Amino acid sequence: MISMIVRRFFQLVFLLFGISFLVFSSMYLAPGDPASMIGGPTATESDLEAIRDNLGLNDSFLTQYGNYLAGIFQGDLGYSYQTKQSVAEAISIRFPNTFKLAVASMIVAVIIGIFAGLISALKHNSWLDVTSTTFALGGISIPNFWLGSLLILVFSVNLQWLPVAGLADPWYTVEGMKQLILPAITLGTGSAAMIARMVRSSMLEVVRADYVRTARAKGVKEGQVIWIHTLKNAMIPVITVIGLNFGALLGGTIITEKVFAINGVGRLMIDAIAARDFPMVQGSVLLVATLFVLVNLIVDIVYTYVDPRIKFQ
Amino acid sequence: MKKKNWLLVFTIMAALLLAACSGGESSSSSGDESGGGSEEVESLTYASLTDAVGLSPIMTNDSASSNVNEHVYETLFKRDSETKDFTPVLAESYENPDELTWVINLKEGIKFHDGTDFNAEAVKYTFDKLRDPATAAPRASLLEPVDTITVVDDYTVEIKTKYPYGPFLAALSHSNAAIVSPTADQNQDLMKEPVGTGPFKFVSWTPGDQVVLEANPDYRDGAPKVKQFILKVVPEVSTAISMLQAGEVQFIDKLPTEQLSRIESMNNVNIEKVNGTGQYYLTFNFSNEENQDPEFRKAVASAIDRDAIIQKLNGLGVRSDSVIGPEVFGYNESADSAGTAFDLEAAKELVEKNGYGDRPIKLLAANRGNFVLMAEVVQAQLAEAGFDVQIETMEWAAFLDTARAGDYDLTFLSWSNVTADGSELLYPNFHSDNIGSSNRAQYNNPEFDQLVEASRTTTDQDERLDILNQANELMLQDDAVVIMYHDVVTAALSDNLEGLILDPTGQWDVSKVTGK
Amino acid sequence: MAELATAPGAGVNKEIKRERTFVVTMKRLLKNKLAVAGLIIIILQIGMAIFAPLITFHDPVKQDINASELPVFSENHWLGTDNYGRDVWSRIVYGARISLVVGLIAVTLGLIGGTILGMLGGYYKKLDGIIMRIVDLLFSFPGILLAMLIIAILGTSLVNVAIAISIWSIPTCARIVRGSVLSIKEKEYVMAMKSLGASDLRIMFKHILPNAFAPIIVFATMRMATAILSTASLSYLGLGAQPPTPEWGAMISQGQAFMWSSPHLTIIPGIAIMLTVFAFNVVGDGLRDAIDPNMDI
Repeated sequence: MISMIVRRFFQLVFLLFGISFLVFSSMYLAPGDPASMIGGPTATESDLEAIRDNLGLNDSFLTQYGNYLAGIFQGDLGYSYQTKQSVAEAISIRFPNTFKLAVASMIVAVIIGIFAGLISALKHNSWLDVTSTTFALGGISIPNFWLGSLLILVFSVNLQWLPVAGLADPWYTVEGMKQLILPAITLGTGSAAMIARMVRSSMLEVVRADYVRTARAKGVKEGQVIWIHTLKNAMIPVITVIGLNFGALLGGTIITEKVFAINGVGRLMIDAIAARDFPMVQGSVLLVATLFVLVNLIVDIVYTYVDPRIKFQ
Repeated sequence: MKKKNWLLVFTIMAALLLAACSGGESSSSSGDESGGGSEEVESLTYASLTDAVGLSPIMTNDSASSNVNEHVYETLFKRDSETKDFTPVLAESYENPDELTWVINLKEGIKFHDGTDFNAEAVKYTFDKLRDPATAAPRASLLEPVDTITVVDDYTVEIKTKYPYGPFLAALSHSNAAIVSPTADQNQDLMKEPVGTGPFKFVSWTPGDQVVLEANPDYRDGAPKVKQFILKVVPEVSTAISMLQAGEVQFIDKLPTEQLSRIESMNNVNIEKVNGTGQYYLTFNFSNEENQDPEFRKAVASAIDRDAIIQKLNGLGVRSDSVIGPEVFGYNESADSAGTAFDLEAAKELVEKNGYGDRPIKLLAANRGNFVLMAEVVQAQLAEAGFDVQIETMEWAAFLDTARAGDYDLTFLSWSNVTADGSELLYPNFHSDNIGSSNRAQYNNPEFDQLVEASRTTTDQDERLDILNQANELMLQDDAVVIMYHDVVTAALSDNLEGLILDPTGQWDVSKVTGK
Repeated sequence: MAELATAPGAGVNKEIKRERTFVVTMKRLLKNKLAVAGLIIIILQIGMAIFAPLITFHDPVKQDINASELPVFSENHWLGTDNYGRDVWSRIVYGARISLVVGLIAVTLGLIGGTILGMLGGYYKKLDGIIMRIVDLLFSFPGILLAMLIIAILGTSLVNVAIAISIWSIPTCARIVRGSVLSIKEKEYVMAMKSLGASDLRIMFKHILPNAFAPIIVFATMRMATAILSTASLSYLGLGAQPPTPEWGAMISQGQAFMWSSPHLTIIPGIAIMLTVFAFNVVGDGLRDAIDPNMDI
């Protein structure tokens, strides 16, 4: 276990190095000049030149990248071209919001997913199975930018049950919880469908397994059979989906955060790309990648507890 | 498929429901308690599409930052939107002993929010910082003509320019030339904690989320009635409108033309409009040889039905051929219809005669605001006349670069003229000095250049008016650009509030807002 | 990542058996009501795309300023018109072409890239480490962000969208292929081929690849769904189709401003996307159930 964690750590370093190079070179190659985004359309050539000089944008690619890496090794993620704020600070303001959104939508996804998957599996091939599969697959098929604005129009503007947008601080107030509902549904439906699908197939497998049959034969009540014996086994795919989907979820927050005016990392990233704010793009992408790796590491560790048969090579 | 049908039915029903009770019943805003006949407003929230870049007027040049900074800081002068004359703000008066010298007397007894005295030192400090190359201020060029700044006494500053500079007061009334507290600038980062002399004081800023300001109780004209002013970032305009309808925000600006009818149907807001100084225009890339053919430009200009565009904008545009718009200094009514008029037949003839239809034309458009809308309509209109036009949309950053490099045939540009001065429109946009930067049309006309230079170096305002008009007419004769429309500045304010000052430059002031 | 050992396709080796499997699979698939529904939708879509000029009566990009924002069931325009007076039905029909073609290109490119990486990684132990690191790298990069960066460099166009989206199906595909290669490589008959002097390329393409076919086809079907959805998302963000191209996501994004006055402008393309994506998903799902319910996709 320890050796695996250590190995993963080295892989992470390699990975971050690769990502930083990829991001840096793509931002460097992309058309668009950070200086003209700072100066605005009214800036003159001399204004722009002064800004470029100031940011070191006139240096060669290697010098710029070298300087950036040197900063990273000293634990310095750099400063935003636009706001001159420290990138680490900017991210630390936004990250909690993205995290809340991701966790809330995962909760929505797990609840809907397990429920729909269980129904499908238990009433295999019945109309209930068809219905819940349709529902689950429908969820994955809805474009979330579309769903989000539809939900706002129905539940916030017309019915006025929930606030339109924003995310209160702290989240655990009634107001904060209410604000989380719509974005969590918007973002969670896709993952819910995946979870439902995996729960269904692994449940089908488990339900037919010998030990469940034995349990039934011994007269254990149906409800107990389901919950105790099978659900635990069905958790493995759920955990897998959480791990794999976490990255997609962080990506998905980009649109959800925009629609619901949530001040998160996804929005920070697209704003930074649009503004050609290289250090900010770098910092936020590195954060997301690191999180993805960490979540998957945790998922792998959890596996070994849920299912002792799994061993790491 | 049962559930599927249900979903379909649900979405359609939901949509119909929305369409049916558009406007609906809407709760009054929660923030502003205007009960008890008091006209004080506890809290006013404005939805901003983008976050401020920073809170220092020296280091920023974007409208979201200006919206905050204009309430926290003040400039020496401002242009009166009615009379177009300059009125003193922090200044008391000014005189010109000669063409190169501006002696500015300052108001006495004004203090910055941190207690520092506002005086000649503060002015000198601010301007020196703004023009210092080491600062790398985005609008350092505002003070480019300035040679020396001298403190004569505590409340008198003398500024000498390198050459006679006509639009100098316009430059000084630009929000980027607002005066900052020197002590604060030395002790803290103004980008994060601004200190000015304005009607509102800074409270907090959560980057990406909101800026909170509070009324300055010591403001010389009396504290604003709005006790707390919040500028909240809501990146999606549809969401912002929904929030306005639900009362979560009380004020939005730059109403999108497509959603105007929705906002009009809401019964809890009032829409305010004022004709603006900005304009949207179609321009030719003049570095392109084929575009230098005057007949080609005439053909394009006569193919474009600008009235149809204004109709598409739901009336949020002012129709005039004049490059210098009705709200801008230098405008002359005679230019209103001095351009090439819409004449589809004439356009078709020219296209036919010269074989313009064989040339593929790249119409570049930034993928934001009304640019895409104009591109779609104009592309269809040009196609009608026989041109072969392909639209290429780009995100803003790439667009600015591509347009600056002149990698297009036709494109749409806009200019929001913050100083409302014609020279500040013609010089950056069309003077050959600025090819490679803000002259994205790559327009190069020596005769025109001379007129623009004259308009800048003349300090007599009547003479300037005349020169600007000549330059304007020259461009129209040349079909240098096709003015699509001059903008209309809009805002929607919760109907229990009043007193919003909406300026033709697109800037606004909430310091006089009161409850009803 | 932990490899949950998966044996795809239960190790079917012989050609004849493979053909029989195909028939069996199709029979099973056709028993699945949802999958049949999905198949029908897809066939209709393809029909719409191919016969677009025959089933529409308006040019999808032709504007008519006097007939803008017509509601559903208007005379001449049964699905109404958009804010430029363009026929919504024509735009939906031509939009089907775009979605299918872009989806197909994206998936094909992704499959090619993923297969090559997966084969090399699975077959040559030396390359495995580095290839799997590349795969990890692509995995940990949020897909939409990767697409945005690629489009920022290449420029906004549908072809670039297809390329951008294809890159994000590479890692999953590479893993699937690698998994099957690993499970087959050590099989006796492959060893035998090797000792008979068959070239690596021949073994890979002739003997190993067909065995990875089942999971790849399931993956590809599901990926079509994702690709269509992603194209729409990117167009929604203004990074996809150039106007006036009738792309569904772009239609939603444009129509959103009229959600109040003309809700059909967002609802109709929204339903079109949903139905298409749904169809590919259920067919993919059905295929997997029919081939091997325990397939790890």
